[in-house]
Amino acid sequence: MFDVLIANLPYLMKGALQTLWLAVVGVGLGTLLGIVLGVISAMVGGVVPALIATYVFVIRGIPVLVWMFLAYYMLPQLGLMVGDMTAVIGALILYTGAFVAEIARGAVLAVPRHQTEAAKALGMRKLTMLRLVVLPQAVSLSIPPLLNNSVMMIKVTSYVSVVGVWELTYAAREVVERTLAAFQIFLGVMLIYFLICYPLTLAARYLEKRYSYEH
Amino acid sequence: MDAILDFLGFAFIQSQLPRFWDGFLLTLAISAASMIGAVMWGLALVGPRMSGVPVIVVPIMAYIELVRNTPLLLQIYLFYFGLPLLGLPLSAFVCGVIAIASQHGAFLCEIYRAGILSISRHQWEGALALGMTRRKSMRQVILPQAVLKVVPPIGNQLVILIKDTSLVSAIGIIELTLSGKMVIERSGASFEVFLFIAAVYLLITTTFGVVLRIAENRLRARQ
Repeated sequence: MFDVLIANLPYLMKGALQTLWLAVVGVGLGTLLGIVLGVISAMVGGVVPALIATYVFVIRGIPVLVWMFLAYYMLPQLGLMVGDMTAVIGALILYTGAFVAEIARGAVLAVPRHQTEAAKALGMRKLTMLRLVVLPQAVSLSIPPLLNNSVMMIKVTSYVSVVGVWELTYAAREVVERTLAAFQIFLGVMLIYFLICYPLTLAARYLEKRYSYEH
Repeated sequence: MDAILDFLGFAFIQSQLPRFWDGFLLTLAISAASMIGAVMWGLALVGPRMSGVPVIVVPIMAYIELVRNTPLLLQIYLFYFGLPLLGLPLSAFVCGVIAIASQHGAFLCEIYRAGILSISRHQWEGALALGMTRRKSMRQVILPQAVLKVVPPIGNQLVILIKDTSLVSAIGIIELTLSGKMVIERSGASFEVFLFIAAVYLLITTTFGVVLRIAENRLRARQ
């Protein structure tokens, strides 16, 4: 019954590699962007945090698929002749960044106030304080939610197939159109996604438990 | 001002409003149907999930973990392309709603469970000491407290659900997202169509968020 799946496995695996690549680039860069934005919005005053909050609000209020279509149609018209791939990766980065900014901001704000006060009393400058006092504590708080967010975004990479970018889900549809074996192929591909996502979910759960015992 | 409106393709979008309106209504209909389905499905799962009987708990956990760790888009495809092979040729609308309700119901089940588990053991002990049965303690002591705790995370989940309805465009349901794509493809219009669509989604999710917050405050005030 699963001959079809096995016969098409090499092709699907190529799609899985493409999915992993999208995840590493899109989710990785998006996470970096979000960490920078989140730390900035927690550390500085003035209009900057409000601007970042607006970015987060607008990005999160709109489906990522709409962002992908928008990037796909908009960038070329604005004179940026980028490929489909670059456009959807841009959307992935911006979308991940908004979610991560919230996580990073929350983690920095969760570092107890007396820690920063003590650092200030020791005469540390802001950047030194950030590097030696705030970030080391914020990192352990934010790793489980960042892992959960990565799982969510890896699942989101499948949406790029709707815009027409080739990866695992797109490959699955091609194979189903050719073989009509919807159940075997889609279930098999779900299993591939599961094998990518589930270890990250388990790691997040484990770390969450471990950190919660420390306090 | 006129230049900005011109840049945003205002006149053109105005001429296409009836198409977007149909898509908008369909997005609302799918959201509403999926929300009801997801909330009910989560409720149906949470009892067995917490029953403590391994034969029941293990399959439900396996289902929840599988659904939560795979893309919704694939689940939609599985129902849409798979069910006809089982002799169940359901409409795209029904398949989309089932897939969305199935995934979000799994997430909601875990939210309900976390809410119930978060109520202190002393509450159980107190209720039982008063001579209440387990069922009665659950209904009159535990659940009223759990409900307040789970309202905010349920709200977040339902906002995600609204955004996820855009995925049914992939199986040809002309909701808001697909209506935008079709207008672009038919008329050769450009990205401003999707700026408009994005604004409509933002309006829907924000309105829903505000309504939820009001409901939450009312609930809190009453207790």
